[in-house]
Amino acid sequence: MSQDIAFRDVCKSFGTTIALSHFAIAVQDGELVTLLGPSGCGKSTALRIAAGFEVADSGDVSIGMSSVIALPPSKRGIGMVFQNYSLFPHLTVRENLEFGMRVRRIARAQRTARVDELLELVRLGGLADRYPHQVSGGQQQRVALARALAVQPRVLLLDEPLSALDATVRVEVRDEIRRIQRESGIATLFVTHDQEEALAISDRICVMRDGRVEQVGTPQAVYRFPSTPFVARFVGKVNDLEVELRSSTTVRLRDHAMEIAIPSTTLSAGEARLLVRPEDVRLVSIREPQALHGVVENLHFGGATTAVDVAVTGTGQVVRVSDVTRAVHAGVGEAVGVILDTERALVTRQ
Amino acid sequence: MIKRARHLAFAPYVAFLAVFLGWPAFYVFRSALAPISASRSPMLEAVTGQFRGSFVYSLQLSFVSAFLGLVLGAMVAIALVRLQHVRGLRNIVVGYSSVAANMGGIPLAFAFIAAFGMQGLATRLLREVNIDLIGWGFRISDFWGIVLVYLYFQIPLMTLVLVPALDGLRRTWHEAAQSLGASARQYWRMVALPILMPAIFGGFLLLVANAFAAYATAFALSSGSSRLVPVQIRFFLQGDTITGKTNLGYALAAWMVILTTALVIGFQLLSRRAERWRR
Amino acid sequence: MRATRLVWWLVLVVVGLFYLVPMLSMARFAFQRIPVIKLSLDNVFDRWTVEPLFDTFGDPNFRKAALLSVMLAVATAVATSVLLLPTMVVAHLRSSRARKLIEVSAVLPFVVPAIALVVGFAGAFRNTFPFLIRHPLGLVPLYVITALPFTHRTLENGLAALDLRTLVNASRSLGAGWVRTMVAVIAPNMRASIATASFLAFTVVLGEFTIASLLLKNTLPLYLAYAQGQSPQGAFAVGLVLVVISTVFVALSNRFARTVKT
Repeated sequence: MSQDIAFRDVCKSFGTTIALSHFAIAVQDGELVTLLGPSGCGKSTALRIAAGFEVADSGDVSIGMSSVIALPPSKRGIGMVFQNYSLFPHLTVRENLEFGMRVRRIARAQRTARVDELLELVRLGGLADRYPHQVSGGQQQRVALARALAVQPRVLLLDEPLSALDATVRVEVRDEIRRIQRESGIATLFVTHDQEEALAISDRICVMRDGRVEQVGTPQAVYRFPSTPFVARFVGKVNDLEVELRSSTTVRLRDHAMEIAIPSTTLSAGEARLLVRPEDVRLVSIREPQALHGVVENLHFGGATTAVDVAVTGTGQVVRVSDVTRAVHAGVGEAVGVILDTERALVTRQ
Repeated sequence: MIKRARHLAFAPYVAFLAVFLGWPAFYVFRSALAPISASRSPMLEAVTGQFRGSFVYSLQLSFVSAFLGLVLGAMVAIALVRLQHVRGLRNIVVGYSSVAANMGGIPLAFAFIAAFGMQGLATRLLREVNIDLIGWGFRISDFWGIVLVYLYFQIPLMTLVLVPALDGLRRTWHEAAQSLGASARQYWRMVALPILMPAIFGGFLLLVANAFAAYATAFALSSGSSRLVPVQIRFFLQGDTITGKTNLGYALAAWMVILTTALVIGFQLLSRRAERWRR
Repeated sequence: MRATRLVWWLVLVVVGLFYLVPMLSMARFAFQRIPVIKLSLDNVFDRWTVEPLFDTFGDPNFRKAALLSVMLAVATAVATSVLLLPTMVVAHLRSSRARKLIEVSAVLPFVVPAIALVVGFAGAFRNTFPFLIRHPLGLVPLYVITALPFTHRTLENGLAALDLRTLVNASRSLGAGWVRTMVAVIAPNMRASIATASFLAFTVVLGEFTIASLLLKNTLPLYLAYAQGQSPQGAFAVGLVLVVISTVFVALSNRFARTVKT
């Protein structure tokens, strides 16, 4: 297994603000790893340290098994795509793509051939002689990607490349990036604050907060088995319910009588929070035994699924149910029951 | 509002420009194109013969002061970028530049006469360190003297043009170039300089036009006698005197307008291109 | 890294000196009654006096010239606002094309240098409207044009910062006519820009020499030019005062401009 990018115990502070604290992760064998987190969590800092635009206070970064800490960005063999203003405005698309090759003094014939190859790769054949301001944002980012790949970098670093794009274009370009990355098999570090994006394209996700790693795992693992409440809340949607911990295996919704079973916890009794995903809540008839009684407060029609907000009677809390089966047809104001499937739920103090 | 009435709203402004800008300009050209004698058009005579020297002199002065203004103004602008961490420095320099760029005319001439004239303070101080400007033939009313004075507003004007242009150089371009393997020199040669070129060249044209049109400063420095074109025009057309060669004066003025028009158009086109890239 | 930073500081210092020395020299010449040849380290602080300035203030010719210049400056500032503001408001409300056209027209004065403008003006109106050439107020239209590129840009910035259409619609829907809207709604919101533009117009007029010179009007700069021969110290003193005033005006306009843009 080759470690294409590896961070070892990297620390970085800006003045009194800690950006990264003992940050460590490895991207291996051509996988796409996403650094995911809210703004200020250190993900961009980590990427920029890998690229060489920031210098870590301590720790090591290696690309392709050799340390690059001492190398300037131009000598690290990286390909980088930025959030916006990636392309050189005074050069055509073709000239932009050629840039890395011209720097390396590659002959014109080879440059032209490679540019044509790249244009085909990102499917932008006809735009070779346009200027960046003459193409759309999504096309610009695809060109930026092609340009980064032009000189066959060892690794690909993408700094929120989709954040500046319109929502519809975002999905398109995102799929393109994933396709190209898979085809070329190049190890990629992807930074974003959009968890949906991260879930869609990553081989592994590294969820970060305040300069630290919260969890690393496949999208499925991070989503289904969040190891911390932060991850549970940040990735995907979750019901954040105020409960009272009755014992190590039961809770009660605040102000509610019914006891609900939970996976065994080490927390002591008292106030707590129960985090349950909407798809782990079932909408049932109000007569169903073990169901919490409630009233439908709102329906969110999402095309394929409908989310139902149920106000649980007596508690003032609202539970969102993600109803894929459309098994229960309930309108706003109707009395319904909800059952919480707590097998994958998290109980936390905060 | 009816269509007709809408256009009416612009009438005062358009009329004003037409009467006080358009009509005088038209008159200049009309007079310039009326032949003095049967064969020679004043326009032609203005740039050949004895006045060719004036134009050459004016152009030389303009280009030299523009070029030096370009170099020094660029150095100031770059200094501001390199020292951008110093709080308030940029505001002070840009602020003073906007004052100095509009400085001109009589007070500026006075200031330089007081500093570098025959009885100037700086002249005197330099003599203390064995730099005898006057002995070397330096005169404030000569070519290099006027260049020196013009630099006073040329340098800040260039600075004011370049500072926003340098701001417009996005950091991502530098980083992208680095990530593609470019050295600092390659970045400047292949990315930064080409992007800045419209602003630099446009600024240069602006400086040339600025120097060429300047009248008051030259007048005051040379006490009314100067080979510069603007001052020569005055000689021909002062007050109501009919020197018999007024059309030549108008021709000189017409050539001036042609030249400044070309320069301003050039500047506008280049600014437009620089703006497009900044998006 | 330290070394190169020093180089740039040096650049700024040298240029700064270049800006400062002439002004200091002018001040010294104006306010110290020692000829340069006799200057030495011993008497560098002697015989400084503001007398030359007051001598000049006492000169009736100076008073007339200063009064004329100030009058012209005020007239130019007012004329600029009265002419430009309605026009620009209409342009903003109409279309961006109209706005662009006005913008281009405001650059036209650059294309006709003052010297060409004034000889054309004199020649064109000498026979038809001679009073324009004889009366000092005839300078005002030319001054408005000279200041146009600067005043236009300032007012443009001010207008761009307003939500003009909303203001006008609101005012009109409440029953105000166009004039009322301009005076009572738009102008007060443009106070900073109008003030800035007026400062700029002032600065331009107080320093303008070419046009006044050729039309033989005795404005302040002309007085200075000719006083240079008679009482140079006084002339230089007033020149320095003018520089200080212009500097203050431009600094104030910059300050205003910054508040307008946010």
